[in-house]
Amino acid sequence: MENLEAARLQMALTLIFHIVFACIGMVMPFFMVISHYKWLKTKDEIYLKLTKAWQKGVAIFFVTGAVSGTALSFELGLLWPGFMEHAGPIIGMPFSLEGAAFFVEAIALGFYLYGWNKLPEKFHWFTGVIIGISGVLSGILVVAANSWMNAPSGFDYKDGVFSNIDPIKAMLNEAWFTQALHMTLAAFVATGFAVAGIHAYQIYKGRNKPLHKKAFHIAISFAAVAAILQPISGDLSAKDIAERQPAKLAALEAHYETKKGAPLYIGGIVDEEKREVNYKIEIPNALSFLAFGDFDAEVKGLNDFPIEDQPPVAIVHYAFQIMVGIGTLLALAGLLYFLSAKWKHWRVKKRFWLFFTLLTPLGFIALEAGWIVTEVGRQPWIIHNVMRTKDAVTPMPGIFYSLITYSFIYVLLTFVVSWLMIRQINALNNEE
Amino acid sequence: MMLSVVLFFLFFSLFLYVLLAGADFGAGIIELFSSRNQQEKTKKTVYRVMGPIWEANHIWIIILIVILWVAFPVYYQIFVVYLHIPITLMLLGITMRGLAFIFRHYDAVKGKSQVWYNGMFKIASVVTPFFLGMIFGGLVGGNIQLFEEGTNQSFADIYIKGWLNPFSILVGLFYVTLCGFIAANFLIGEADENNELENYRKKASVATIVLVFFGFLILGYGYWKEVAFIQDFIHNPISIIAISLSALFLIPLWMMIKRKQKTWTRVLAGFQVFFVIAAAMTVHFPHIIITSTKEFSILEGVAPNSVITSLGVALLIGGAIILPGLFHLMRSFQLIKLFKK
Ligand code: HDD
Ligand code: HEM
Ligand code: HEM
Repeated sequence: MENLEAARLQMALTLIFHIVFACIGMVMPFFMVISHYKWLKTKDEIYLKLTKAWQKGVAIFFVTGAVSGTALSFELGLLWPGFMEHAGPIIGMPFSLEGAAFFVEAIALGFYLYGWNKLPEKFHWFTGVIIGISGVLSGILVVAANSWMNAPSGFDYKDGVFSNIDPIKAMLNEAWFTQALHMTLAAFVATGFAVAGIHAYQIYKGRNKPLHKKAFHIAISFAAVAAILQPISGDLSAKDIAERQPAKLAALEAHYETKKGAPLYIGGIVDEEKREVNYKIEIPNALSFLAFGDFDAEVKGLNDFPIEDQPPVAIVHYAFQIMVGIGTLLALAGLLYFLSAKWKHWRVKKRFWLFFTLLTPLGFIALEAGWIVTEVGRQPWIIHNVMRTKDAVTPMPGIFYSLITYSFIYVLLTFVVSWLMIRQINALNNEE
Repeated sequence: MMLSVVLFFLFFSLFLYVLLAGADFGAGIIELFSSRNQQEKTKKTVYRVMGPIWEANHIWIIILIVILWVAFPVYYQIFVVYLHIPITLMLLGITMRGLAFIFRHYDAVKGKSQVWYNGMFKIASVVTPFFLGMIFGGLVGGNIQLFEEGTNQSFADIYIKGWLNPFSILVGLFYVTLCGFIAANFLIGEADENNELENYRKKASVATIVLVFFGFLILGYGYWKEVAFIQDFIHNPISIIAISLSALFLIPLWMMIKRKQKTWTRVLAGFQVFFVIAAAMTVHFPHIIITSTKEFSILEGVAPNSVITSLGVALLIGGAIILPGLFHLMRSFQLIKLFKK
């Protein structure tokens, strides 16, 4: 395997893992403090038990998040020294603020985990709130760094020299708001449906129902709201890239020919050789409308970009279909949940709980798919229109071996963390 | 002006990482060298006193690395390219250690698997600081060969010999011992009963002796092999003063250990670390990478002013929020208990 490929795969692998831990670490604290709040208000022991169970989850995912994040912060340099040498100073602002946010989070976590019965009740609860807020802040800040790679700004670039660096402008680049909004919602959708799904399964199996029902309602309320907002935010993202990264837009729609009143493809098999899409469903003029808000707007096709500037089409297109498909399904599931507040008899049906059980992994699948759209769709650029990925990779040969080691460790880690979670849930049920 | 703020935070995070993460690594090392009965006790004591700041201790390295890449990109570039392998190994150590920490404290079932977690924890506690030490040894040891177009350097010449050599190994061992030393002195103040206290006291004495031994070994080896860093070390008055001060301060430290004086043992052990770092850093400042042919200043290719200014401001604001918080955290869980006793 070539060095560049190995480095790309390693970057993708480590980020795919980190994002799972990070999102859970970002969103679980909110569930935890809601449950904690209800315990303080109602003094219902079940809420206390739930809070403590979730607190363990937060602690576990925080450490895995921290460890995989530490590895990542080195990896950016280890794998892409050419990128970091120039980009480091420019996007340093969000990263250094992010460092501060992590720190606040770690301090608050220390207070929260060890503060039971030692700190004043309200202050203790409030440190939990701070964990959540600083977690979301750090998420937003890293995404600001990532969006800069999509919409580079805050510097002048001429003949390979970066000058006039303005770190604030780089941080507040044109893509940061849409990306950060979409990402934050995604974290709530993915974690919310996953947590709700796990508890739905326990209810489906008839185990410790009072506790799992309370847990389910807390998690799903967040998830449902976020899932309903998600398509709106996704539409904003799509309009954004239509303007700034037309090649990415063309790739994610598998749109080869430049056209006025371009149709939207749903599904379909991409033939990259013949540059066409088979077996698709076509909705006339919809792409033009979705991308530019005008049914007759012209959408530039891939054939009009130089071949060396085109991203891989099939992966990006499939990933996009998966994300949007799941996004639509989850938005409907969110609506269903709110409707079930009115038609309470649905919630007695086993099918209701089975349905939410089946949704457990979908949010995370959509989230990973979305990142693949963003990252692979940006190729061949590491910094859009400024630096190519192949120019950034480390000169050290043999990254393949590093990739093998990381793959081994991360696969192991996944199994072991899942195993730990199962043991936690079993312990919770046995205490009943 | 802002550059000094940035440099201050760079060294400040380095110091705190070496000290706080060092205490944490060291706790694992002490566990490794304790009898089975004492191992359990150490594990409990460490979790009780260090648990609340465990996460925070390990963030200093992230701050450190972010400052390096934002403000000193050229320096950072050499660091990550030529020391790629030991950095990766250190990261594996950090990963394994973090996992083992989670397992031993959060596994819902406390069963046989604990043996595995403990084993992994102890091994990773030695391996991680060892590679950290080696990385520093590699940076200043003068063994890194820069890549040159047109010569026939092998992979090993460029990417391995720079850090896999006697000097780096000695520095690695030195840092491992230093961690044990910090932890032993730190734990003395926390022991609940007498034989636990005795255990830490013994460990503290052994660590001190081994530490001094490795210190001399490094100086001796460097002098004999004419390692530039050590030659300069010996001729640099500030380094010599710092290292002599650290030797002098061993005396009150030992007195305080005898008297079981918690606060002072900690402060004095902290002094030791401070002097060692100060001695090592001033030798060549600002040249903190020494390769076989060339020395690199950390200030070479420093980021433009606008970047340094905004980084400095961010660090000042961040520091103003974080440091009081951290202080309050430590006070809530540690010093208060210390006053009570
Ligand atoms: C739960 C996860 C999830 C769900 C349900 C959706 N997305 Fe998404 N999407 C993400 C999770 C995500 C993501 C992983 O968070 C990404 C990657 C980068 C980013 O900012 O968000 C993303 C990126 C992303 C992009 C690329 C942005 C860029 O490259 O700058 C577009 C155009 C969309 N999304 C559009 C949508 C649409 C139209 C959806 C309709 C339902 C949708 N997403 C649902
Ligand atoms: C979309 C991508 C990312 C998101 C949303 C994200 C978010 C987060 C969050 C919320 C945490 C806190 C962990 C927790 O609370 O459990 C975290 C940890 C961390 N992340 Fe990421 N991250 C992303 C990518 C990255 C990248 C690319 C880097 C490397 C430069 C990175 C570096 C770190 C570090 C160093 C930590 C550990 C901090 C600590 O000790 O708490 N992250 N991340
Ligand atoms: C957590 C969510 C993320 C996932 C799943 C993800 C996924 C990927 C994938 C699949 C690639 C390989 C693309 C290719 O070579 O075809 C990649 C590359 C890369 N990503 Fe991300 N990414 C994420 C977030 C981020 C963030 C937040 C940053 C930076 C702040 C980042 C920085 C990079 C860099 C530097 C590369 C290598 C260069 C490149 O291939 O363009 N990624 N990522």
